Amino acid sequence: MRNTWLIFKREYLERVRTRSFLVLTLLAPGIMTVLMVLPAKFATMGQGKQHVVIVTSTPQFGKTVRQQLMSAPVADDDEDNPGSADGARQKPEDQYVIEVDASPTEAERSVLRDKVSAHAIDGYLWLTDDALASRKVTWYSREIMGFQERSWLGEAVSRVIQQQQLSSKGITAAQADQMLQPIKVQPVRIERGREAKGSGGARFLEIVVMVMLIYVAVLLYGISVMRSVLEEKTSRIIEVLLSSASSTELMAGKLLGVGAVGLTQILVWIIMAGVVALPSLATQPNFSELQLSPGVMAAFALFFLLGYLLYSTMYATIGAITTTEQEGQQLQFLIVIPLVLSVFMLMPVIRTPDSAAVVWMSLIPFFAPILMYARIVVQTPPLWQILLSLALLIGTVAGLVVLCARIYRIGVLIYGKRATLPEIVKWLKYAKA
Amino acid sequence: MNSVQTPPRLTSADAQESGAAVSVELSGVRKCYDEFVAVADLSLSIRPGGIYGLLGPNGAGKTSTIRMIMGIIVPDSGRISVFGEPLARAHMDQFGYLPEERGLYRKMKVQDHLLFLGQLKGLSAAEAATRLRSWCERFELTAWLSKKVEELSKGMQQKVQFIGAVLHDPKLIIMDEPFTGLDPANAVVLKDVLIEMAKSGKTILLSTHRMDQVERLCQSICLINHGHAVLEGDLGEIKARYGLRNVQIKYDGDARFLQEKRLVQSFNDYGNYVEVHLAPGADAQELLKLASANARLDKFEVMEPSLEEIFIDVVGKSNA
Repeated sequence: MRNTWLIFKREYLERVRTRSFLVLTLLAPGIMTVLMVLPAKFATMGQGKQHVVIVTSTPQFGKTVRQQLMSAPVADDDEDNPGSADGARQKPEDQYVIEVDASPTEAERSVLRDKVSAHAIDGYLWLTDDALASRKVTWYSREIMGFQERSWLGEAVSRVIQQQQLSSKGITAAQADQMLQPIKVQPVRIERGREAKGSGGARFLEIVVMVMLIYVAVLLYGISVMRSVLEEKTSRIIEVLLSSASSTELMAGKLLGVGAVGLTQILVWIIMAGVVALPSLATQPNFSELQLSPGVMAAFALFFLLGYLLYSTMYATIGAITTTEQEGQQLQFLIVIPLVLSVFMLMPVIRTPDSAAVVWMSLIPFFAPILMYARIVVQTPPLWQILLSLALLIGTVAGLVVLCARIYRIGVLIYGKRATLPEIVKWLKYAKA
Repeated sequence: MNSVQTPPRLTSADAQESGAAVSVELSGVRKCYDEFVAVADLSLSIRPGGIYGLLGPNGAGKTSTIRMIMGIIVPDSGRISVFGEPLARAHMDQFGYLPEERGLYRKMKVQDHLLFLGQLKGLSAAEAATRLRSWCERFELTAWLSKKVEELSKGMQQKVQFIGAVLHDPKLIIMDEPFTGLDPANAVVLKDVLIEMAKSGKTILLSTHRMDQVERLCQSICLINHGHAVLEGDLGEIKARYGLRNVQIKYDGDARFLQEKRLVQSFNDYGNYVEVHLAPGADAQELLKLASANARLDKFEVMEPSLEEIFIDVVGKSNA
């Protein structure tokens, strides 16, 4: 116990004291934020205002369409998607300049085509009476139109036509508006006897963020464990260590020490994220939907730790059976495959958390850290399943640690054998001379 | 040919007090790696107090033997006992180990590293800190205590490693080639420390292939070849057993005594100085009588065989 503690302490302190740990811990959240925010900023900033021309046979109709377009924002109507909160909910007048052109001639068409090519305008909507009669209008532009923009244009045009047709039948604009109001379906999930609003968009985000944390941390710290096993082997300090502590003590101290470094880092990140992001997040309507209950947090900590232990033990084994880092990285795919498979299984887990395939997969120790955790967030599985997956996971980790500690020792032997064979040949020559 | 003095046997009160008549005993120990037999039926016993030399050509099985005594690898068969008990983990805290290749964490500070090694061997942090200071003073490392290991020269790292091996005041100290990498001045400091520890009753197992060191430092040796002990025991006895077969004679006069085939197997005459290799079973005293009868002798010295000669002789025979 004392030896494990000493080795744990050394691993932890030596890592936490390095400059690279400090830099990574402090800068990583900043870099992540920049990486997440920049593409969205570029998408809106880069293009500026779009210049659009509506070509129509009757100017009045064109103006009505323009008015309709300007009053309806370009957005999907899934309000639960927090991703759309920033980019797509801008007002149309900030995004578009719309002009009405009342000469739908072939000559005008070629003029507009040239303007598009010359970047004078960004596109034009061919909205002649003929086109309307065939209920098919055409949008010309340099770039392929996004799905959201296409339905935005289509809906605006249909709305104007419907209103015109209704008013021709003597219905007032206000009445028409009321009639045309679309019906929205609000999803309500029933969880443990209580109603929970929302379609689970925030929850989806939560799963993705937490799973990415597990995934990245396992890879990052697993490789770190592998490197440190290799270092001890090649520097031969392993011989001194094995003369003082058992290989199981060494392995346990190392895994826990590196794991504690990872937890420290994640804790710092969570605190940083809390300080920076909570005030702005709290005002978001989806915030209350996040499953940050103590139970889910505990599940995260538990599955994170066990997942880390499982995979880093495998990394330590690879470190013990190889002699260089290159060799080690070639064998790494053995570890990455189950991790990637777990990530692929996330969508089925979120859609059908009760299906037999999902239940069985989430019980297998190599997938459990990600899949069982995801199931707990989506829809709490029966207690026996959680306990069974935990028991299997703990058993596998314990078995792997014992196995790996043995391989650790054999690893030293492999080194010794390789080193001595050429020496024997040399010695034979020397003895004969 | 150099005349060699066998070091006096160290008999110390401490060594007797430690109880067991032997510090380390191996009997019929065998270790194979796949097809390759590293150690085959090796038996040796190391008495407490003193320096024991483990000799042998490269690949003879020295390192495997040491690793088995250190409990790093387990013998396939045979018994290892230390201080009169079968080898167990509990003994490890009384062992100090200096492996042949440097084994230190490069990024750790010298002081932290020594503290870590001392604590692993059961010392309290405070005790380890006090001890490492006095050791570092002795080896002139005090100025380097807060430097990282990788900033130190190889020789300095070697000294750090040595301190790490003896910080916990072990009863048995196993050193694999401890002098390699040390400059002459530091080699002298290390030699003095080793002799001092041996005198205070510690058992030191020294593995090396440098014969001159063994001749000067060790009281007993084991010469391993092909994983077998080809020679084992008290160095003086071994040399006596190998016989005093060379005689140096400085003479003036008749050199007829050199022709006596019964006594002289071969000789190398330099005029008035000759090196004689005695015939098997010949007595040097007889040659002395014969030579002094006809010539004036300025010097007649029976040379002890050097360990190197014995080594080449024994290893040559066992390979034949």
